[in-house]
Amino acid sequence: MNIWKIALHNIKSKPLYTALSVLTLALSISLLLAMQQLKNSFQYQIKNNLGEIDLVIGTKGSPLQLILASVLHLDNPTGNISYNEAKKISNTPSIKSAIPISYGDNYKGFRIIGTNKAFKKLYKAKLQKGRDFNNPMEVIIGHTVAKQLKLSIGDTFLSSHGLVESDIEIHDEKFTIVGILKPTKKVIDRLVICNLESIWDIHEHEEDIDINKNHDKKEHNYDNEITALLVSFRNPTGFLTIPRIINERSNMQAALPKYELDKLYNYMGIGIKTITWIAYLVLIIAGLTIFISLYKMVKERAFDLALLRTYGATNFQVMKIVAYEGIIIVLFAFLIGIASIKIVLPLLLKTIDLGFKVNLLQQLPLQMILQIGAIVFVIMFLAIAVAVHPIMKMKVSEILRNEK
Amino acid sequence: MIKTDNLTFYYNKEKKDAFSFPNITLKEQEDLLILGKSGIGKTTFLHLLAGLLKPTSGKVSINNVDINSLSNNKLDKFRGQNIGLVFQKKHAIQSLSVLKNLEARLFFSKKTVPNSEIETLLQKLGLSAFKHKRLNELSEGQLQRLNIAMSVIHKPKVILADEPTSSLDDENCKIVVELLKKQAKLNNACLIIITHDSRIKPFFQNTIII
Repeated sequence: MNIWKIALHNIKSKPLYTALSVLTLALSISLLLAMQQLKNSFQYQIKNNLGEIDLVIGTKGSPLQLILASVLHLDNPTGNISYNEAKKISNTPSIKSAIPISYGDNYKGFRIIGTNKAFKKLYKAKLQKGRDFNNPMEVIIGHTVAKQLKLSIGDTFLSSHGLVESDIEIHDEKFTIVGILKPTKKVIDRLVICNLESIWDIHEHEEDIDINKNHDKKEHNYDNEITALLVSFRNPTGFLTIPRIINERSNMQAALPKYELDKLYNYMGIGIKTITWIAYLVLIIAGLTIFISLYKMVKERAFDLALLRTYGATNFQVMKIVAYEGIIIVLFAFLIGIASIKIVLPLLLKTIDLGFKVNLLQQLPLQMILQIGAIVFVIMFLAIAVAVHPIMKMKVSEILRNEK
Repeated sequence: MIKTDNLTFYYNKEKKDAFSFPNITLKEQEDLLILGKSGIGKTTFLHLLAGLLKPTSGKVSINNVDINSLSNNKLDKFRGQNIGLVFQKKHAIQSLSVLKNLEARLFFSKKTVPNSEIETLLQKLGLSAFKHKRLNELSEGQLQRLNIAMSVIHKPKVILADEPTSSLDDENCKIVVELLKKQAKLNNACLIIITHDSRIKPFFQNTIII
């Protein structure tokens, strides 16, 4: 027998109060952790996936969509722009590099992106196995793609049209995997990369068929078109002049990824902030529930506590019995809170999966868990301390006399 | 073993509702019945003997230790090790079973007793079959026998009983008094019963009326 065991027995003797305390506390902890994780994941996406992309040039339309599609590879791509026109811009002196990308297909939900060899430098990605693509229909694949689809060098596959996995529209040409990239923890991990010609080739063939079918020709005129141009500047003056020139004088648009994603984050931030405040409110309610549960124990079971004193328990030991009860509840709730975000949050995101095979969620860093743990600890410490406090002035003789 | 010296106690100095108590001296295995009506400070006397209250003046010595000279924590430990208390009603923790209560009792008095000894005691008190039961599953008589077990399991020097028989019928009253006396003897402890229940007068030679 020891003090922990007595505290445990006390908890077991009031399952309803305990369940209520644990659940409210676990709810607030998991909400806090989940919001922190979402916030963290989002910031990580912005920081890491931008790579060295300062500017994205694409067709006119929503700048946010352009960024989401061409930088984070999330949203549907916007329309195409002329490769020749894009190339002209690339020659501007303040531009350090301009990498064309072209979309169109996917393999089992992973996007196939036509580009040049410089693309992987944006993410400082290096080959783990094999070589770079040199010819049309050769691809290198990101680490996640290789791992999830169990692909290795020399494997071939047929792509399907569009960006979402489908069995209906499959192209005839086979891609061959010639290289696999090292993991970067960036967006490139889940991309299939080939040269621009591969993408153009596939869709040229398709076009031949489509003409026969009297399909809308304009939409499939892929020849020498790209989806976007990813630009990095040589120096900051580029930011000042180039976006304006493009937006005003061409039928293309230039979007600043950093700016657009910060804006998006601010929209999302309102939701996250609101839920975070609600979580703090629930945390305070949980603190009150635990306080009431323990205070009730101190008052209603005063006789039991006084008896412990006649058994030889010191005042401090009696306080510990009640406090441990609170600590057990808090620890239990914390475990449930962490377990639930580890299990529930990924499931939740899976059910609202956009079909892009993305893993938006970053692991929650230990530091964040500790931070939230510290806040929870302080509030619970207060709740427990206030509840336990009357024991210090416990009048054993009086309690024993009155309960007789 | 236990000795008091001119004990007085004021609840409220202004009102001058002072209690003063007779001097008592008990040796090992001796017992004493203190009889008196309600409201004349019987429980106060018992709490003074147990160190639950501090006397306004006078002295209580148990085993040659002046218990009021001990610090609070030391007094708690001293009480746990040397005194066994029996009350009128329950004298155990509600959330624990009979056996767990005895284990808790031993834990706080920092004493270890072999399990066989606990088993023997439970058997003698007819509680073996109920050792895993909680208090609310026990009858009044069983509860009082548990009280006795709780007061002797740690082999105290002094057993102090406050109205141990008041809520019991004649038969159980007799059983409880006899058990208390027997257990006190077995443990070489002295026994003091404070009560208004004159049914138990015949069991004691040594009686004080206050």
